[in-house]
Amino acid sequence: MVTAAVATEVVSVEDLRVRYGETVAVDGVSLSIKRGEIFGILGPNGAGKTTTVECIGGLRKPNSGSITVLGLNPSTHAGELRERVGVQLQTSELPEKIYVREALELFASFYRDPLEPGELLRLLRLEEKAEARYANLSGGQRQRLSIALALVGRPELAILDELTTGLDPQSRRETWKLIEGIRDQGLTVILVTHFMEEAEYLCDRVALLHHGRIRAIDTPANMGAGLGQRISFRSDPALELGALRALPEVREVQEQGGRIHIEGDGDVVAAVIGLLVRERIVPEQTRVEQSTLDDAFVAMTSEADAELTAPPATETA
Amino acid sequence: MSALATPTSGKPPQQRRGGFQSLIITELRLLLREPMILFWALIFPLGLLVVLGSSTSSKPQHSFGGLRFIVVYTPVLMTFTLTLLSMSAMPATLASYRDKGYLKRLSTTPVGAWRLLAAQLVLVLGLSSCLVILIMLVSHFAYNVPLPSEFGGFVLAILLTMTAMASLGMLIASIAPSQRVAGAIGSILFFPLMFFAGLWVPQQSMGPTLRTISQYTPLGAAVPSITNSDFGSWPGTTHLIVLAAYTLVLMRVAIRLFRWDR
Repeated sequence: MVTAAVATEVVSVEDLRVRYGETVAVDGVSLSIKRGEIFGILGPNGAGKTTTVECIGGLRKPNSGSITVLGLNPSTHAGELRERVGVQLQTSELPEKIYVREALELFASFYRDPLEPGELLRLLRLEEKAEARYANLSGGQRQRLSIALALVGRPELAILDELTTGLDPQSRRETWKLIEGIRDQGLTVILVTHFMEEAEYLCDRVALLHHGRIRAIDTPANMGAGLGQRISFRSDPALELGALRALPEVREVQEQGGRIHIEGDGDVVAAVIGLLVRERIVPEQTRVEQSTLDDAFVAMTSEADAELTAPPATETA
Repeated sequence: MSALATPTSGKPPQQRRGGFQSLIITELRLLLREPMILFWALIFPLGLLVVLGSSTSSKPQHSFGGLRFIVVYTPVLMTFTLTLLSMSAMPATLASYRDKGYLKRLSTTPVGAWRLLAAQLVLVLGLSSCLVILIMLVSHFAYNVPLPSEFGGFVLAILLTMTAMASLGMLIASIAPSQRVAGAIGSILFFPLMFFAGLWVPQQSMGPTLRTISQYTPLGAAVPSITNSDFGSWPGTTHLIVLAAYTLVLMRVAIRLFRWDR
């Protein structure tokens, strides 16, 4: 029985390890996901993302480690969990000649208490495609149908693998809005992605996975903030770069085509502006950038690569 | 995959049956959307029956073992239609479902992917039975082919033929990586199987060696079993054992080799 203390924890993974023959796909992953969270699992291809969520979804048996999903063990309670966990798999297609409404009604019949197929068609804006065959759907429509099928059983947890891969930017944004809307209804979501923008937009917390290990777990904003800020501007008259470099907050200064680019820690913008005021220089075309998840990702993965002497692990799609 | 084998616990059986029934109905609808399969499994054998029944001699032929041509040919057409469904249509469908990731997708739902296999088997056996009965009735009422007077023997022979061919179909589905490969294996096997059934040369006209080989192929054992029961005798024991052995061996290998995922 689920006690009140752990009722808010939907997924708990401890020291998960999965090997494919000689290759270590997941190498000691631990994470905890709370009810109502959108939790992102990020990483380059072959990082072990899909393998990790396949273990959480009960599709794959780990070599070692413990997993608890909704208070149950996926290895021994797969049947019950399939009723309560909705899964959207990377690269899974439906029969070509099945109609959209037919597919939704079919999947609805698999569950104890399904959503009304018509309601889902409306929610995912597939109404006008309800009588279309799967083969005639666009990539975005197929993706929306796939999400609808993952949600039709009223799951408590949805695992969405590569949600927007292959979608055009507009469909991608629409899909994000949809996921936000679903989360507001209390669903917990695990989102596997390699799009930083997607994770930044949607996720409450993100785990950065690389070579089967978690490099960091934090909110997208905090992950970027650790890397500091960037400021760039043109100055007239020209500024003495040495004075900038002397500031303790500054890490790097570069001049490119008359434009000065400065990188530094979280307080670098204030320090540079202070200097400019003292020197009575008016900066032109100033641009300030917060480091993003993208930067965090690049920084952490290249750091990790430098540590590693072994060749990268390969992921089976 | 272990997840597929795990029993579903604590759910009302009513719901599970609901999912299984919808799977069968949906698979039937999908099959009816394949005009090529409908042509080869329904229209072609019935058309052939009508053409041959109307154009061939109504007198018994010495080269056909003293039987009329259409009497010899009706069991061949029965095996033709059930072989097409279980050995060509079913494995191509299942291989494409695996290739597309549909089997894996189903394994994440409460019905599980194995129920799709069961639905396909139910569908193929049910449709084959309907087509066999249709051929039997048309050949009887239009061309006076006797109805099987050894009915129990006929049912047993047809059932064993269907399970042997369905097992062969499952084996193809378990080793073929894609719909194209499954289709190719099906076509390559279709010609020798139908040859030994007597599609081109009736078994009664085959030489002794060819005829002996024929008795040990599944359809070569099936056709004389059906012909026997048309005239009131029980199918030959060897023929029944041959069909049962193909069913058991092929199904065992198929179960061992079947993969749910690419």
